[in-house]
Amino acid sequence: MHSPRLDTIAMVENTIKKNRNLSKTELWKKLPKQMMYQTFSTAIDYLIELNKIKLNDKGKIEWIEQEKIRLNEKQETEEKEYAVENKQKNSIEISETSLDSETKKIVSELSEIEGKTLKVLAEEKQELNVEELAEKAGIDLDSARRSIQWLNEKKLGKARIEKSVFVSLGEEGIKVLSNGLPEKNFLKEIGNTWKKISEIKSIPKQEINIALGNAKKKNLIELKKEKELMIKATEKGKEFIEKKSEEELMLEKLSDKEFNEKSFNEKEKQVLKFLGFRKNFLKHKEKGNEFILITEKGISAVPFLSAVKERKYNLTDAVKEIYPGKKQPYFKFVDEIKQKLVSLGFKEMNNPLIVQEFYNFDVLFQPQNHSARTWTDTYKLKKPEFGKLPDKKIVNAVKSAHENGGKTKSKGWQYKWEEKIASQLMPSAHGTAHSARQLTKGIEVPGKYFTIARCFRPDVVDATHLIEFNQLEGFVAGKNFTFRKLLGLLKEFAVEVAGAEKVKFLPDYYPFTEPSVQLNALHPKLGWVEFGGAGIFRKEITENLGIKEKCLAWGLGMDRLAMFKLKLNDIRELFSYNLNWLRKGI
Amino acid sequence: MPTITSSKKDLENLTGKSFTKEELEDVLLCVKGELDSIEEDELKIDIKETNRPDLWSTEGIAREIKSYIGKEKGIPEYKVLKGKRKALIDKNLEGIRPKAAYAEIRDIKITEEILLQIIQLQEKICQGYGKKREQIAIGVFDLDKVKGNVKYFAAEPSFEFIPLGFNENMSLREILIKHPKGKEYGKLIEKKEKFPLLIDENNKVLSLPPIINSDESGKVTTETKNLFVDVTGFNQEKIDLALKIMCMALADRKGKIYSVELNYGKKKFNSMQFKKEKISFELKEVNELLGTDFSKKEILKLMEKRRIKGTIKGNKLTAEFGDYRKDIIHAWDVIEDIAIAFDFNKFIPEKLNVFTLGSIKDESRKLKDLRELCVGFGLQEIASNHLTSKEVQCIKMNSKNEFVEITNPVSSNWEIFRKNLLSESLDFLSKNKHCSFPQKIFEVGRTVELNSEKETGIAEKWKLCICISHSKTNFNEIKSILEAISRELKLNHSIKEKNLSFFENGKSAVISFKEKKGFIGEVNEKTMQNFGLETKVSVLEIEI
Repeated sequence: MHSPRLDTIAMVENTIKKNRNLSKTELWKKLPKQMMYQTFSTAIDYLIELNKIKLNDKGKIEWIEQEKIRLNEKQETEEKEYAVENKQKNSIEISETSLDSETKKIVSELSEIEGKTLKVLAEEKQELNVEELAEKAGIDLDSARRSIQWLNEKKLGKARIEKSVFVSLGEEGIKVLSNGLPEKNFLKEIGNTWKKISEIKSIPKQEINIALGNAKKKNLIELKKEKELMIKATEKGKEFIEKKSEEELMLEKLSDKEFNEKSFNEKEKQVLKFLGFRKNFLKHKEKGNEFILITEKGISAVPFLSAVKERKYNLTDAVKEIYPGKKQPYFKFVDEIKQKLVSLGFKEMNNPLIVQEFYNFDVLFQPQNHSARTWTDTYKLKKPEFGKLPDKKIVNAVKSAHENGGKTKSKGWQYKWEEKIASQLMPSAHGTAHSARQLTKGIEVPGKYFTIARCFRPDVVDATHLIEFNQLEGFVAGKNFTFRKLLGLLKEFAVEVAGAEKVKFLPDYYPFTEPSVQLNALHPKLGWVEFGGAGIFRKEITENLGIKEKCLAWGLGMDRLAMFKLKLNDIRELFSYNLNWLRKGI
Repeated sequence: MPTITSSKKDLENLTGKSFTKEELEDVLLCVKGELDSIEEDELKIDIKETNRPDLWSTEGIAREIKSYIGKEKGIPEYKVLKGKRKALIDKNLEGIRPKAAYAEIRDIKITEEILLQIIQLQEKICQGYGKKREQIAIGVFDLDKVKGNVKYFAAEPSFEFIPLGFNENMSLREILIKHPKGKEYGKLIEKKEKFPLLIDENNKVLSLPPIINSDESGKVTTETKNLFVDVTGFNQEKIDLALKIMCMALADRKGKIYSVELNYGKKKFNSMQFKKEKISFELKEVNELLGTDFSKKEILKLMEKRRIKGTIKGNKLTAEFGDYRKDIIHAWDVIEDIAIAFDFNKFIPEKLNVFTLGSIKDESRKLKDLRELCVGFGLQEIASNHLTSKEVQCIKMNSKNEFVEITNPVSSNWEIFRKNLLSESLDFLSKNKHCSFPQKIFEVGRTVELNSEKETGIAEKWKLCICISHSKTNFNEIKSILEAISRELKLNHSIKEKNLSFFENGKSAVISFKEKKGFIGEVNEKTMQNFGLETKVSVLEIEI
């Protein structure tokens, strides 16, 4: 289905000669005629197999060596011809032996398929086309095509292309086949009594003239003019209704197969010509068929076939490029980070994609009526809208935290907290939603928790923003934890996880931590970069959930870490749809 | 996070000190500010403090910096003079936009820069703190064009006036439809039977809150000498805070504040007052939270830098601050201020030294093993988005389906959560037709579907999808992989022929094992066409 024809290969080759040092894709775009990339690829593969070109390590196509070989060849043949002219009477034996050894070498480099086809050609002694060759040699069409090209290259066979036109049904032809010829339908409707033209319904108005014209030409109807044009079928017309016409038979013949124009006899050709006048009845497609005839050189090579047991390889030949199975680079990095966190003593938390606002906001002390709630500018779900809330005890603890600070000395937010708002569903907008859920479920002390969470925000997608992104998020709970220990933890992250040398801390704001801090780290190339945020979970959160110890919460920009690691400048490339990049990193 | 535009010169005038870029970056930390850009005189400052609208203007930033660098001390003091004007607030606003607060600013010399700051502060408060004008809308008027007492009431939508920037009368309803601000904010009131309106004693309209001011009194220029400030919303406390912050900024510009008496029927009061609030806690909490050993004196000094007055009695620390600091509701809020005053980078980070055993979820481990197995088959892992379109998920797959849908998608490319991975993989292949074949890819990812038994009404399922594409691939090739996976994972699966809309009939089957499902087959011509694919694809997708 994607095998190139000889002329296609010649086109590719010529283009290569004219345009040096291009990559495959660049070359493809330079071709004078468009072709399917896969066919083009196959052509390139052939040329590689023929040792005409090779792909260098930069993925560019190279020819130079081949050129040299060909130049040498040409010189050689010229020299030979000269020698033959001048020394016609020279010993035949010598030239034969040298010819023998050359043929032997060629034969020793033939593949199994080439050998098979050469044998067949020698036996048949006449020109074969691809199908015949494939059938006789017992190989598939692709291999036969390839073999024709190889043998032609090696001058063991002489290949040629014959272009022929194939006929099949056009759009209108297909319609007519099932609906009937317009003139036949027309005649059927008229019958053998006089009918007014305005009464005819089988044919749309715009086609009636064609039908009239065709029917009259064939003498199928009589016309007379009274107030209006009147029509009646002739005897021939009646016969026409009964019998299938040649045209109809031809349409049937073409209904499921296309035919080479040459395969029709003269009479059929007449019918086709007639059908061809009618718009879109037929479709013509030019196709090339490849033929090969064995050469003298080929015939002389056959005896050596049985002598050569194994194909000799040219070890320096370029071979087909293949690709190993690999992990997606970003996911591979995620695996590494997880490993690192486990080694630092962190336990992985659950991280559902969709959460109740309860976890995304309420547990985290973000008031329902406050701008902090749109602070993240979040997505909402149309369907389903609401989820269930956990145990009443937990819900009430959160409610009282919001309304009056609950068990803490905090004033709370001083408003009426509503369960319904909290039970609304949303794609989680930050990884802290999962820490929040962990807090409600109970935690170990000391305990270290993390998750790599997929988060969603309705951002405009550009080089630094995605609507889906990842956060590396977690918290550490323990006795006598302090702000200084939080800074210590962040420093450890910056060094261990991000490979940064120096860190800087900036005051920050999160509705759920106090104090809150932003972590900036010195990147060897990019200078100071924001790496994450952190803080100590507010007492309104932890104390109301029965957690006495301080929880140091932190979040790192997972995507940014990955971009540094994979040396990307555009965040979109983390989820690249470019297979070449995934395969080769280029 | 609001971004504030300021003039460097103006900021330096207000603080009484000039700064280099580095110095500026350092002092801005005291307002949780980050210098986003500096171009000639224009500063863009990101203020991360979402809970302190008082910092969202040059005046507010300068006010905080002044005490941070020691130019000024203590709680800022503002004088409110008693004004003569009354505001009559009608009961019929209930359920529409019932609360309001007003103040007059007199004898102010308005420069271009001050004008810009007034507009910016007003905008930032309405957008952020006021949730895009829903909860707070602010209007500033030329006081000299306001006659006598003002009246705030719910008017008929047919009521007419000339809105700002126009030159002919329009009905309130028309304004919602035609005026740019009406189009932007009209949805906040359009469904009400009557619309909120502020008029003066001569029945001249000042404003249609929260949409637009009138052209006559709403025009404030550098010629204006006296201002009238109007704030409306639903919660008196919130409104009062917004008004207070506006007045503080204008008073910093040497304006004099006059109160306007609010008359809610018989209930009359003056909401424009500067009060002080207090919060007390145990002194030792400071050092316990921060991990420091600050002395009492140091603590009080650090608080002072933050305009918080501290007093210590025994082991109790009382913090007193202006009532514009609505963000302080708990001891730790004060302690953070102490840490900021000290400078985060002067703290010596301390190692955690807590030993715990780390672990990844069982599920994660299994998924990783599976992915490694797939790599062993020579498959390339790919990653697609969880959000996608109906076009890719069902139309191109010739099927109909129910999805978990987003209410507010930014584009129809990301309107639903994916339910199968195959659609995304075919989409991937369609973008790589120029790459060499065979193409063998896999993805292990989460899919989302409706499931009323779950706590969220949603089931999130991990799935594996494998696609093999080359001209000779077929059912048997992919089936070999399925069987190898099944053998490795002990799935004990069974397959049953079933025609699916995206597979070729007769080369299409469903897979089942335990309670889980999957499908396997050769992608049919129609689906190939839908995705623009030219090379055969055989596919397998299973739940994990």
